[in-house]
Amino acid sequence: MNRRRWLLHIILRALAHRRGRTILLLAVLAMASSLATALGIVSSSMEKRVAEEVRKYGANLIVLPALARLDVGSGGLNFGVVSEPAYLLQRQVESALEQSGLKAERSFHLTGALHYKDADLMVEGVNFSDIRRLFPWWQLKGNWPTASGEIVVGNDLATQMKLKPGDTMELVGKAQKMRLRVSGTVSSGGEEDGLLFLALPELQQAIGLEGQISLVRLMVTAGGDSLKKSASALQLLLPAAKVSEVRQTARTSEGLLAKVKLLMLMVTAVVLISAGSSVAGTMSTTVLERSKEIGLMKAVGGTRWEVMLIFCGEAAMLGIVGGVAGYIFGVVVAQFITKTVFSASAEFIPWFVFVSLGVSLFLALLGSIGPMISVFKLDPVRSLRGE
Amino acid sequence: MATLLKLIPHLFAWFGIVLIMLRGFSGRRSSVMLAGMIGFVIGVTGTFILFRSYPGSVTFGVVKSVLGMSFILLWGCSVVAIYRSTDRAKVMSWGKRLIKTPSTAIIASCLAGVGAGAVCTCRLSAATTDGVAMASVLLLLAAGAVAYIALAFEKRMPEAFKVSPAGMLAIVTALLLFSASSILRLDLFSPLSMKVMKGVHDFVHQFMESILIPDHLFVRSYIWKTIGLLFSKEVGFWGGMVIWFTPAILIVLAIQFERLPAVAHIRQGAQRRRVLVDAIRARRYRALIPVFALLLLAAATYQSCFPSVEYWDPKPLPVTAGSSGEIIIPKKGEINLEDGKLHKYIFRQGVKEARFFVLMTPAGELTVDLDACAICKPDGYGQAEGSVICYYCKTLIPLETVGKPGGCNPVPIPFTENGDSVVVDGLTLINSWSATVQATARVKEGGK
Amino acid sequence: MAELIIETTNLTRNYGDICALKPLDLQVPEGEWLTVMGHSGSGKSTLMNLVGGLDRPSAGSLQVGGKDLLAFTEDGLARFRREFVGIIFQQHHLVPYLTAVENVMLAQYFHSVPDEAEARSSLERVGLGHRLKNRPGELSGGEQQRVCIARAIINSPKLLLGDEPTGNLDQKSTLMVMELLKELRAEEKFTVIMVTHNQEVAAWGDRTIYLNDGMLVREESRLKVAEV
Repeated sequence: MNRRRWLLHIILRALAHRRGRTILLLAVLAMASSLATALGIVSSSMEKRVAEEVRKYGANLIVLPALARLDVGSGGLNFGVVSEPAYLLQRQVESALEQSGLKAERSFHLTGALHYKDADLMVEGVNFSDIRRLFPWWQLKGNWPTASGEIVVGNDLATQMKLKPGDTMELVGKAQKMRLRVSGTVSSGGEEDGLLFLALPELQQAIGLEGQISLVRLMVTAGGDSLKKSASALQLLLPAAKVSEVRQTARTSEGLLAKVKLLMLMVTAVVLISAGSSVAGTMSTTVLERSKEIGLMKAVGGTRWEVMLIFCGEAAMLGIVGGVAGYIFGVVVAQFITKTVFSASAEFIPWFVFVSLGVSLFLALLGSIGPMISVFKLDPVRSLRGE
Repeated sequence: MATLLKLIPHLFAWFGIVLIMLRGFSGRRSSVMLAGMIGFVIGVTGTFILFRSYPGSVTFGVVKSVLGMSFILLWGCSVVAIYRSTDRAKVMSWGKRLIKTPSTAIIASCLAGVGAGAVCTCRLSAATTDGVAMASVLLLLAAGAVAYIALAFEKRMPEAFKVSPAGMLAIVTALLLFSASSILRLDLFSPLSMKVMKGVHDFVHQFMESILIPDHLFVRSYIWKTIGLLFSKEVGFWGGMVIWFTPAILIVLAIQFERLPAVAHIRQGAQRRRVLVDAIRARRYRALIPVFALLLLAAATYQSCFPSVEYWDPKPLPVTAGSSGEIIIPKKGEINLEDGKLHKYIFRQGVKEARFFVLMTPAGELTVDLDACAICKPDGYGQAEGSVICYYCKTLIPLETVGKPGGCNPVPIPFTENGDSVVVDGLTLINSWSATVQATARVKEGGK
Repeated sequence: MAELIIETTNLTRNYGDICALKPLDLQVPEGEWLTVMGHSGSGKSTLMNLVGGLDRPSAGSLQVGGKDLLAFTEDGLARFRREFVGIIFQQHHLVPYLTAVENVMLAQYFHSVPDEAEARSSLERVGLGHRLKNRPGELSGGEQQRVCIARAIINSPKLLLGDEPTGNLDQKSTLMVMELLKELRAEEKFTVIMVTHNQEVAAWGDRTIYLNDGMLVREESRLKVAEV
């Protein structure tokens, strides 16, 4: 048997001999490291989730044309502001986006009115592929348009006008008259339900606003501060437009996450401190009880370092086992928290096993520093005499 | 003073070399010390003279090949060591005798001194241009002091610390390479990985040509993609790593494989165990040095991959062409084109774009080149220490040769100097960029 | 005359104000079986601890096996003990959670490397071949003391120290242990120093010294007794 295996062997023997105490220490270490792991897993997977939620919510920046403002009246006679519909040049926005180097999904929108039978309908010109990417939660009955001349009708509008997929309708714009086929109806739960969606170039042609758009929705993949920065960067490049942020839902999720994190951090801190002191206490009683054994080891020729190594090995062994158990337990706790608080499932992050191991080992070794010093200093003659 | 501070890591390496040499050739302290110091002086003066009489690239080339030679020697010795450890070759015993002779000790320490001295002088010359002679004298004094400290230190080291000849070679080479890795133009690892990359690349090409003509008909695109992996930078890196670390690992293994003494004839159990344990412990001590060499080599790779040198790499400025399709860049003004630095521009025309730079070579001529070369992926160039570096293959191109076509040199673009501005034709630029990038992209994807 | 294994001059040990061992000159030739007798508190154990490298003298010189124990560091003394000394205690001091054979292997581990076969054969040698896998709690006093002997001799010490090894044993076990020690000594040729209260046990030795209040008061050798 070589020395390393023998060391492991006697460490295991010693731990098995004091079963109750070993289990107690393991439980304490596993508890502490599991909390730390759970904290880490919850915060890291929820951060990702919140970011995803922001994405799901869709656009977080919108670009609107700065209204062509015209102040009416003068001096004390102020009649208010007359505003005209204003448009952005599609090309201009595209080049600005490119220059800013923002990583963003974009969707161009043009809103206009088309005449149908004897009513004006609000029509939004969009690129359907962008819509599908940015607003994946829109529910569609039927199909997305595949050919030109196909449209999608908002749910409310469809009921109102008794339209269903497959119907055709004739719409009259300022510049053009079109026959269109309804390929599907869409519901978003918002204002979109009362709109009619048409391919952007087709609408542009129909109402004679080629190359013009009235709204750009951007989905910038960024969190916190950098969104504000991107907005202002883009604003500089687009003086004729107004760039603003849309981020209400993100804020609430982030707030909740921050609170849960703070709570867990506090609990973990308390648990870590109490676990550390209980490890220290248990270890020092153990060492006290085993002083004869330590004296004997020194008497038969163990140097102070060699004897200490055995006891450090025991602490490290406890730390490792506690860490692994803590990881498993921590994953369960994290799963529980995310289920109950966020009603989502936590990610499986394998490398957190090292965090758990690290916490557990650190606690076990830190708690054993005092006892280890007494092991190191113990005088074999006295301890064997039973003093 | 600042340059002397930069020498500190190199002097540490020198300290290590002296220490290990003294211990490795135990019992020959004075001759090892003397030979090492003489070697150092030769290294310093030799490199100094080389720098004076030839352009920098020649000197760096010479020092680099000396270092490369020591690495190849290490390779040889490691193979011999692992072969010996299998207990097969009694023939090799002359090698053992050779190591014990005093002349070996003298020659080896002298050579190590030459290497260390040369590297130190290269550092001096890379950092400053004037006052090198003065600095060299200071360097020699410092090296002498360091060697003396190493001697004093070695006398106090425990007896149990022993160095095997192979381990000594490993650590001395590792120290030299580590010390060289902080100097961009002496670094061996990145050229090594580049060589591996190109070797793999050429091999695959040749192989395909010899077997699969005409290849495109038979090989599907996903197979081409797999083959394309072989051409990536990572292959070069990992291949380089293997070559870089193998010798030291072999030496560690050779020590681990060493036979333990036969103990069956010892009757007393305690004595038998003692002999066994002592042998194992001694073996472990001896393995310590090559393991440390491994760490040093790893540090050298790190320095090579993330050099502490800051590349001068400005953000490309967008430029536009005038109505005649010509791009006009003023020589003076916001940017001084003639300051000897790299000035990058980006030109867009529709969806196409081209990156290029303007640079004043040391010869005083302006040159306009693409920010890409004819062989690599267009990762661009950075400028450092009298050369530009291709970010993709880490090749250093001396400033003198920028503007000349070929190899990994930036692809030159014809231009005219019109009074106080540089005029480049936009269309030529776009076309030559597209041609270059397409050519290199094709190579990248593994086609022909 | 054989070489001296222990040589002390003016060996003194004070615990604070208490003088446990007054200046003592003692010479023990290699291979001798020396018995130390005296009342409790007479300094017997102190002498044992000093000679075994477990304790350091307050003054005087102490040479064991040609080595000056005063020159050693604490870890150096531990290394000296593992190579040179085997100790048998009155209370056995076996590690409770290790089996008999593992207790012997513990000494091997600190000396060099554990070797189970060797530990087994040494236990067989002391007549415990059938109790290798038993814990100390499952062994009788005599058996425990024999494990202790096996552990003490496993590293082939030059010097075997017994601190009242038979103090806790009945008549029969005492006899057995003493027989065993005698046999082993004949085989391994180590020097024995043994502290005891028991006159009968003392009679197994070559020479007996009497300590009283930390001073050597009387010395008698078996040869002399035989002469008388």
